[in-house]
Amino acid sequence: MPIISLEAEDLDKSFSGPPVFSGIGFRVEQGLTAVTGRNGSGKTTLLKILAGLLRPSAGRVRILRGGIPLTNSERRLAVGWSSPDLAFYGELTAEENLLFFRRSAGRDASGEEIRGRLSSVGLGEDAAGRRVEEFSSGMAQRLRIAFALLFDPPLLLLDEPMAGLDLEGREMVHRTVAQARRRGAVVLASNDERDFAQPEQRIELGRR
Amino acid sequence: MAAQSPRSSSVSHLSSSGPGLFGRVWTICAKDATQELRRRIAIVAVFFFSATALALVSFAIGPFGLPEEERPALQAALLWIILFFAAATGLPRAFVQEEETGTALALRKTLPATIVVAGKALFNLLLFLAMAAITIPGFVILLDWKVGSPVAIAATVLAGGYGLAVVSTFLSALVARAGQRSVLFVLIAFPLIVPLLLAAIAATLEATRGGFPWNPVRVMIAYDGAATGAAYMLAGAAWEE
Repeated sequence: MPIISLEAEDLDKSFSGPPVFSGIGFRVEQGLTAVTGRNGSGKTTLLKILAGLLRPSAGRVRILRGGIPLTNSERRLAVGWSSPDLAFYGELTAEENLLFFRRSAGRDASGEEIRGRLSSVGLGEDAAGRRVEEFSSGMAQRLRIAFALLFDPPLLLLDEPMAGLDLEGREMVHRTVAQARRRGAVVLASNDERDFAQPEQRIELGRR
Repeated sequence: MAAQSPRSSSVSHLSSSGPGLFGRVWTICAKDATQELRRRIAIVAVFFFSATALALVSFAIGPFGLPEEERPALQAALLWIILFFAAATGLPRAFVQEEETGTALALRKTLPATIVVAGKALFNLLLFLAMAAITIPGFVILLDWKVGSPVAIAATVLAGGYGLAVVSTFLSALVARAGQRSVLFVLIAFPLIVPLLLAAIAATLEATRGGFPWNPVRVMIAYDGAATGAAYMLAGAAWEE
């Protein structure tokens, strides 16, 4: 099977003021890429650009399979993304939320499969059937991880994936990242060095 | 236990099957309906506005307030004023709510804007038709409205409601991330929706007199087609970054 790769070329991003970052370029194919930098250095912005949720001010991001760029609809499902900015429908249960995103993306899923996915991030039957508005911050973070993995993406973008998690949750994320980096690529943004286990490459923002 | 992470470097999602285009649109519509039924804020506001406006109009000008020959034109205009303003309390929320609660990111990550706009427009159309199904019988009773051609009224409400739903949904996507979005929505909606409302009022007047309003209905269908085409072509630019 052709491997999915991500190429970021000379990325600049500015909002209304000075650039958040500029001249960022790297290539990700397999393994773990650590994105580090102080608060406000643009880690979240960079991951949103990689996920296709923000346009860079200059430069481009290409997701390729066997050297051929993916279409937008392929890209949406080939890239999993999680961020503290990610919110879900509070009136719906965790299971209903994930079922909605699967089905609206044109992919079948049974309740049993979704409950299995939720269980694998530590959200059992009880949590799966609870409305998301009743979730603690740690439970919401687990749901974000389940969302990122919803389409079994070969490329995973995780922004502060340990935020709000207890020890068990952090271990779950470590195992998930270890498994994902063996089979595809993971780009993980964090301020905490303990979140990275021997990354294949490192991108440090805010040092210019 | 590790989370179910990418199972292999193969792109499993590219070969899996699932709902077709309409199924995906319907899934979004059903999600919006489920949210509204559980929250009941927009639905209650829409129906409360409709009931209040209907009651006030019937008290103020009622069946005995005007000579019979002057009633149809005023009733046709009043009906659409009530329908439009009642709908306007709920329709702009389509995308604004997604932005305010932060769920827009998950939608943008997963779905193209055209599918989202279509799903939300379908929900808005169904909400409008449900509101019209309650408002129009009340209008008939309280204002002694004589409907010459119920089929023509149904066609007018369907064509008018469709145009309102599509334009409101698209504008909601356009202004969702802007400051002062409520004011912006009204300012942009006014020139866009007035031609549709004028045609709807003309059609309603003709239907009241018993004829089928071919010309205004044709105008509304042309408007609906243009609105659908514009929304399809511009949805991405309006809502995606």
